[in-house]
Amino acid sequence: MRAVKIVERVLATIPIMIGVAILVFLFMRFTPGDPVDLMMGKDGNVSAQEVATLRAQFNLDEPIYVQLFDYLHKASQGDLGLSFKKNRPVIELVKEALPATVELSLVAVVISLFIAIPIGVYSAVKQNSLIDRASMGISFLGVSMPAFWLGIVLILIFSVKLGISPAQGRIDYGVGLDKVTGFYLLDSILTGNFQAFKSTLSHLLLPAITLGATLAAIVTRVVRSSMLEVLRQDYIVMARAKGMSEFKVVVKHALRNALIPTVTVVGLEIGVLLGGNMIVETVFGWPGLGRIAVEAIFNRDYPLVQGVVMFYAIVFVMANLIVDILYTYINPKISI
Amino acid sequence: METHLRSLRLFGQNLQAFFSQLKKHPSAWLGGIVILLYVAMAIIAPLLAPHSPIGTDLQLRLIPPFWQDGGTWSHFFGTDVLGMDLLSRIIYGARISLLIGFLAVGISVLIGVVLGMLAGYFRGFFDEIISRFAELLMAFPFLIFAIGIMAVLGPGFGNLLLALTFKGWVEFFRLVRGEMMVEKTKEYVEAATALGVSHLRIIISEILPNVVHSILVLGTLRLGYMIIMEASLSFLGLGIQPPTPAWGSMISAGRDYMMTAWWISTIPGIALLILVLSINLFGEGLRDVSDPRLKRG
Amino acid sequence: MLQVKDLTMVYETDRGKVKAVNGVNFSIGHGEVLGLVGESGCGKSATLLTLLGLVPYPGKITSGEILFNGEDLRKKSPTEMRNIRGKDIAMIFQDPMTALNPVFKVGEQIRETLRIHGLMQEQKGSWWSRRKKQNHNERERVMELMKEVGIPSPDERFFEYPHQFSGGMQQRVVIAIALACSAQLLLADEPTTALDVTIQAQILELLNKINRERETAIIMVTHNLGMAAEFCQKIAVMYAGEIVEQGPTDAVLENPKHPYTQGLLQSIPRISERKQRIEPIPGSVPDLATLDETCAFYPRCGKRTKACLLKKYNLEDLGEGHSAKCALYS
Repeated sequence: MRAVKIVERVLATIPIMIGVAILVFLFMRFTPGDPVDLMMGKDGNVSAQEVATLRAQFNLDEPIYVQLFDYLHKASQGDLGLSFKKNRPVIELVKEALPATVELSLVAVVISLFIAIPIGVYSAVKQNSLIDRASMGISFLGVSMPAFWLGIVLILIFSVKLGISPAQGRIDYGVGLDKVTGFYLLDSILTGNFQAFKSTLSHLLLPAITLGATLAAIVTRVVRSSMLEVLRQDYIVMARAKGMSEFKVVVKHALRNALIPTVTVVGLEIGVLLGGNMIVETVFGWPGLGRIAVEAIFNRDYPLVQGVVMFYAIVFVMANLIVDILYTYINPKISI
Repeated sequence: METHLRSLRLFGQNLQAFFSQLKKHPSAWLGGIVILLYVAMAIIAPLLAPHSPIGTDLQLRLIPPFWQDGGTWSHFFGTDVLGMDLLSRIIYGARISLLIGFLAVGISVLIGVVLGMLAGYFRGFFDEIISRFAELLMAFPFLIFAIGIMAVLGPGFGNLLLALTFKGWVEFFRLVRGEMMVEKTKEYVEAATALGVSHLRIIISEILPNVVHSILVLGTLRLGYMIIMEASLSFLGLGIQPPTPAWGSMISAGRDYMMTAWWISTIPGIALLILVLSINLFGEGLRDVSDPRLKRG
Repeated sequence: MLQVKDLTMVYETDRGKVKAVNGVNFSIGHGEVLGLVGESGCGKSATLLTLLGLVPYPGKITSGEILFNGEDLRKKSPTEMRNIRGKDIAMIFQDPMTALNPVFKVGEQIRETLRIHGLMQEQKGSWWSRRKKQNHNERERVMELMKEVGIPSPDERFFEYPHQFSGGMQQRVVIAIALACSAQLLLADEPTTALDVTIQAQILELLNKINRERETAIIMVTHNLGMAAEFCQKIAVMYAGEIVEQGPTDAVLENPKHPYTQGLLQSIPRISERKQRIEPIPGSVPDLATLDETCAFYPRCGKRTKACLLKKYNLEDLGEGHSAKCALYS
């Protein structure tokens, strides 16, 4: 039964993906001036002949729906066009930048969940205690804090004042690291390069904290409020009546149920996390997708912007898909 | 006429009960007062600001805030790299943040509520189209969508508003549509339909007063979010451009001088943080009052 | 086996102290069934949870003794209490729908009790083989239990979730959990209230069977005097946190002494009698926070006199273990 549900859910994403591609395509066609003008703009004297050739090359002479189908056809094969500025396929640039972004995001998610879930549980169990009030206050601050500002403050404190953490990039200049997967933490472990590992970790920490802060704040609050709700349930009294220790009652019976709404919220927050990526990568000079996108915007490199925006949307749709599938596993009532 | 009066009264009573309950919520009160102070500050900015927000004076570059060595009282929070007075820019910056925030939420509410009511009440083809489109927009992370639009349109106040509302209405639409479908099946609406009251009147006089709480709560919580979005876009250089004072671009401008002039980035950020914090406190208070089930503590 | 002496449990609320359980005395021997009868909100369920040491928040036991096989449970450490809970004294809840954890398989929830109390442990062999053997034994035992409480095809249903069970089957699971460690005493909190009428009879029959075959003592909380009459050897009638009358079932039902018990009996329709006259008790259960020391039933009582307000009355022995707390008998 579950398998059918999952297949249905997977199939439902296809029209959304196509819609996303169409929307992005149409938007980019609203750009002031067409791409060829933009490409040629700065070079000045270009002959009409050259412009015509380029227009034909980019299919710009065809009616818009032909261009759209052409675009969709190519996109479905992973061809997102050429970057104006770098004169390389967009997909290649995305592939290059992806590991940096994924590494940063994963570390941010892991850190924030590892901090937020225990604090949320503890706050609920010791409701109205000092720790509860403090963690609620801090998480409220976290929810209201713009990520780019938090990043700058962290840089000011840990890099400028204390000088204990690098502010920019993924790894110290001059530290050699053989790229295997593109994930520096993993690569440095695989190649046994301790120096690179240390350097990577120290570069990773501040951006990951900045990126994870909002998520951690929200998850703390959700875990706490769901735990408060769950701890009132009869099955918690039942678990105690079985003679179970309070720790197990909380961690096994209560938390397992409280995770159901938590997963939903984490799913919703993935969008915020992806957007936060762009900001955090800009603040910390992190060579990932977000920074490529921001650079491309200022270079008016539309195919690249288009490709990255579409890529982000697809990642978002996929992430929601994964959360929904995960949901059927943690909530047995969904699976039939 | 009578039904209009009655619905107006219902509307008023609902809101009144709402705010009288809110009085018992100290943190919401505090948030509300701070918001009002910010609004007042934005309105009378020319009276408050000691200097011009865009007046540069290279002689007075990078003066630190008054409590640091080299700081002066005349430049309370110091100056930036062009010698512009930080305090004055922060005071004027409230105008941009609040204006964009309120307008973006206001337009989003308007579009979302109207479409949501129509879609939720009449269902059918119209609902199908709008809902699909909303679903499509939901597939984009908010900030990335806004960045994409700003990349196409270029920076500017109007474009910023467009970028924020283009997707902003979706949540209000979904909220109102959902509540509409629930409310529509309730007895008081069925009774009104049976009495031959027109659709529009049912929507406006019977249903709307009952969903206004939820709209208010969501609207408040989105206000803080929109203000952060504006600041983020301006920070990236895609929103309000210097020298117009906007907190996001001020924070961005200070990034290159973090080694020497910490205040340029930090202080506008605190102004932003306090505003968003207050809005969220107020919004949480509203939510606790309107939905006692979710009350915390 | 269990003797409760002068047990008082107080909720400390914003509005002051509320005596949810007020000087309660009763006892139950091996294999006996005691009915705790009264309207909703009169402290019956709170009494059961208090016996288990699971005083509902913000409650506190202020006085009394709970003697279980001669030992005072109030003096036990939390760990000792945990070892008694679920093993020697087990509880059956009112609404099986909410008493079973929705995210765990039914079989696992029964097995859990065995594991907590270390039953079915293996001594021989390596850690791995011990574990495997234990798992196997536990599963066999769970299947047995499921069969005993009347759950068909337990080998399949072991792996299902609570929401896949009907209400009656869920309650059988709850009962299986209570039976898992062969408890000497079952505390049943309105075990049939949440179920359909036809299912109620089945569950009662099951409890009856358990009582007969295993000689398990049962304290049954109910608001249904008819059910208590059929099921219990002794009855204690509770009102506003106090026991107002208790004694052998026949004595209490055929010769009720306290006006409240009389009122309860008169408000039950009887199919056997042709001319029915139902006389409901006027009013409702009082707000426990507003009570003083005198009779809590006074405002609703048809036989009240000035004597009622003079002092606090105690349970008076009326012979043959029958006693009542009322000014009429003092």
